[in-house]
Amino acid sequence: MQDSPRAGWLAAPYVLWLLAAFAAPLGAVALLSVQESGEIFAPISLWPSTAQYAEILGDSFFLRLLLNTALLGLAVAAASAVLAYPLALWLTRLSPRAKPFGFAIILVPLLTNVVVRSLGIILLLAPRGVVSNAAQALGFPPLNLLFGWFAVGLSLVQVFLPFMVLALYDVLDGQEKRLEEAAAGLGAGPAVRFWRVIFPLSLPGLRGGLTLVFLMASTAYVSATLVGGRKVQVTGMVVLREGMEILNYPLASALAMLMLATSILVTFVFARAIGGMTPWVQARPPRSWPSLPPALRRVVVAAAEAVAPVVSRILLLAAIAILLFPLLLVAVASVNDSPQATVAQFVGFTWKWYAAVLQNERYLSDAWTSLQIALCCVVISLGLALPAAFALVRAGFTGKEAVGAFLMLPLALPGIAIGLGMLRLLQWFNQIPPFLGVLAVHVVLVTPFMLALLRASVAQLDRGLEEAAGGLGATPSRVFRRVILPQLAPGIAVSCVIGFLLSFGEVTVTAFLTTARLQTLPVRIYAEATFSLENTVNAISTIFILVTVALLVLVNRLMPLDRVWKR
Amino acid sequence: MTISLTRRGLLATATLAAPAIWGRDAVAQIRRGDELTVGIWGGAQERITRQYCAQPLERQHGVKINYILGGTPERRARAYAERGRPSFDLLYLNIFESRQAVRDGVTMAPSANVPNFENLYPLARIGGYGVAFNPVTIVYDRRMVAAPMTSWKDFWRDDLKGKVIWPTYPGAQGTAGLLMTAKVWGGSENDIDPAFRKIAELKPFAAIQGSQDQLYGMFDQQVGAASVEFGSFTRTYAETRNPNIVIAEPTEGQAVAANFACIPTGTRNQALAEAFVNLHLSPECQQAYAEQTYYSPTIRNITLPPELAAKLIMGEEAVSKLIDFDWDVVIRNQARWSSRFTREIAG
Repeated sequence: MQDSPRAGWLAAPYVLWLLAAFAAPLGAVALLSVQESGEIFAPISLWPSTAQYAEILGDSFFLRLLLNTALLGLAVAAASAVLAYPLALWLTRLSPRAKPFGFAIILVPLLTNVVVRSLGIILLLAPRGVVSNAAQALGFPPLNLLFGWFAVGLSLVQVFLPFMVLALYDVLDGQEKRLEEAAAGLGAGPAVRFWRVIFPLSLPGLRGGLTLVFLMASTAYVSATLVGGRKVQVTGMVVLREGMEILNYPLASALAMLMLATSILVTFVFARAIGGMTPWVQARPPRSWPSLPPALRRVVVAAAEAVAPVVSRILLLAAIAILLFPLLLVAVASVNDSPQATVAQFVGFTWKWYAAVLQNERYLSDAWTSLQIALCCVVISLGLALPAAFALVRAGFTGKEAVGAFLMLPLALPGIAIGLGMLRLLQWFNQIPPFLGVLAVHVVLVTPFMLALLRASVAQLDRGLEEAAGGLGATPSRVFRRVILPQLAPGIAVSCVIGFLLSFGEVTVTAFLTTARLQTLPVRIYAEATFSLENTVNAISTIFILVTVALLVLVNRLMPLDRVWKR
Repeated sequence: MTISLTRRGLLATATLAAPAIWGRDAVAQIRRGDELTVGIWGGAQERITRQYCAQPLERQHGVKINYILGGTPERRARAYAERGRPSFDLLYLNIFESRQAVRDGVTMAPSANVPNFENLYPLARIGGYGVAFNPVTIVYDRRMVAAPMTSWKDFWRDDLKGKVIWPTYPGAQGTAGLLMTAKVWGGSENDIDPAFRKIAELKPFAAIQGSQDQLYGMFDQQVGAASVEFGSFTRTYAETRNPNIVIAEPTEGQAVAANFACIPTGTRNQALAEAFVNLHLSPECQQAYAEQTYYSPTIRNITLPPELAAKLIMGEEAVSKLIDFDWDVVIRNQARWSSRFTREIAG
């Protein structure tokens, strides 16, 4: 697996899968977006019209909407990065025994229902909430941070922070510790070591994390709906409203296509920016930056070294608090004797929500369906993403960045638009066995995440080890099994956990594809929430969290989450 | 199971079945082993209909009832995508969506094939079979207002300045809020400008709410004083969580909202779907809804305990007071109003 055009073929399976399972809905959305009439039963015309795009681009409301959404995505990505570094470094330093629990903390937001998480944000930021009370105790006027951009940003950071942490975790864990020791031996303090050694070497991981978080944050709309109080408008929300409530598919599709274009653009910008900051990856000479005069530099370094330990600790505590707060709420609410979930006060203790979940065979059979889909999905996605990661890292062919961007497309198109596209194809989709159909779509939705995480892991493989093994006569397959796989194990484990959770929790697209014979657990929960959210959802979340912790302990036994030989 | 096939038995069966077989066409028969696919909301809706509609049919006819659970938007989008070749045999929609679906040829108008159709109030006979009245009204926190709210115009009182939580549009609550505002300030669905003007006067809002759960969270946190919401769910909320919340009975009336059972055009199980709906319209099922969710019955032939009836819309007079609108006009303007709402009210 050398730098050669041939390695590019490793991306072929994933490309083919995308063409088979994703090109169709994307094509449907693209075709809908060039229809002239917004009428729902108007016949589809193959002659493209720019009417919908003209309407959007000629309207300052839509332009502001697209811009605000992109800025929100960037802000969330940046904030997640700032909070994720201390957290990921903390995670790499945990003892092997404590590691599964560290991961569990990171994953809590992904295991709790979005409505419940939003309630947490509301309790934090409400006029009589935690933050406001704390501000008043310190002598500030009461704050109302709720129902605005800040609240939306915070709730997005909360749920997307885990992706950033996991993207950074593997590259930080795999870093050559001797470099840091050498820097320390030469007199660098912790702040300088971070800035000059750890941070630059983690940039490939940061690129993956930024891309993931930006794409997810700029297509998300549920949090904005719940904590933005409708004063915040994001593009995904408008796509949903135009598509699902007004039934103007062409306008919704055109808006979705513009979101897609924005996402691709930003992904490219990230790739170029990080590429410019990591010249050694391409073996290019480093760019020389104008440096500060020595006296000034000494002052800056001294100040940074003084502040760094405090700031990093505060950031770490803040990040853990943000991640864990929903857990507290969920656990308390799951034993709260109130007919409606999302309750701020405790009415009385009861086990009845657990009983309702565990005695109802429908929950269990839906959970079993979800579990089967998620497991198959992870296996297939790993089979597609791992070779594709090698292709993107090791192959040298023109248009590699374009292929990379193409492989991330499913993430850039909002889920609701994929759903709209699938609706148009429902007649054909219904011909496929339901399990296979849903599985194919889940693979499309999950693989980009696994690819983004694996790409960074593959990038930091020590090529010297492979060459040494090859030089000693090992066959390529033996090199892969004995040299590459052990180095990749933590990266694979992390991306599998993420892939599993994403597939297990997917609602947006699956809700359109559910049939009488196939229903997943999240769709059932969502359906119940559309009527009235009961505390069963919190009981389910609590059970999930416990099961996940148990699973992580198990995974850690089978496939260590860190590199054993580096301890 | 063994059935002894005697000549007399066969004859009796044939005599009983004859009117059913000859009187209706092929889709109008329930056959053993038929499968009915029902699209409905989850939670109490699924529990009640399984108990009162699905299980009796399954026992009686040896059929299978499948549920597809979800929210109204997905269900409606799917029904439209599958017009004429539905994968649902029965689906539940809200009042204006159901009437639009009939007009668009997605679902069928109701008919007296369903015996309990005779007992429905006229309001529940358009756009499908109305299975529950669930009107929208003013709800408020008694601690945060100077005097009880008795009129839709009370939102514009001085003591409510900055404390109103307005419902987003479109949506049942937002539609009711917009149309009632137009009505009480001299406009109508054909003259909506007064509504937008008056609602804009309420700015700044304490918040804008997008769902009942969100509103109750806001009431818990005392974010605002009053909003427009379903009386039914709010009563459950007030009784179990927040006794300070009042469900008002404005002098101008409550705005009608209702759930409708709709049979899609082209279903192959029409008779079974009709039997399902008939059971949904039975007094037992309607009473279960009233007790568990405070939904008001849509049939006339029902008597409920007085203390329960007092919390519902019961009887000819009360139902006739519900404010109905020209939904054709409302639907035709939905896109325009939605865009105006986003620009002039929210944001």
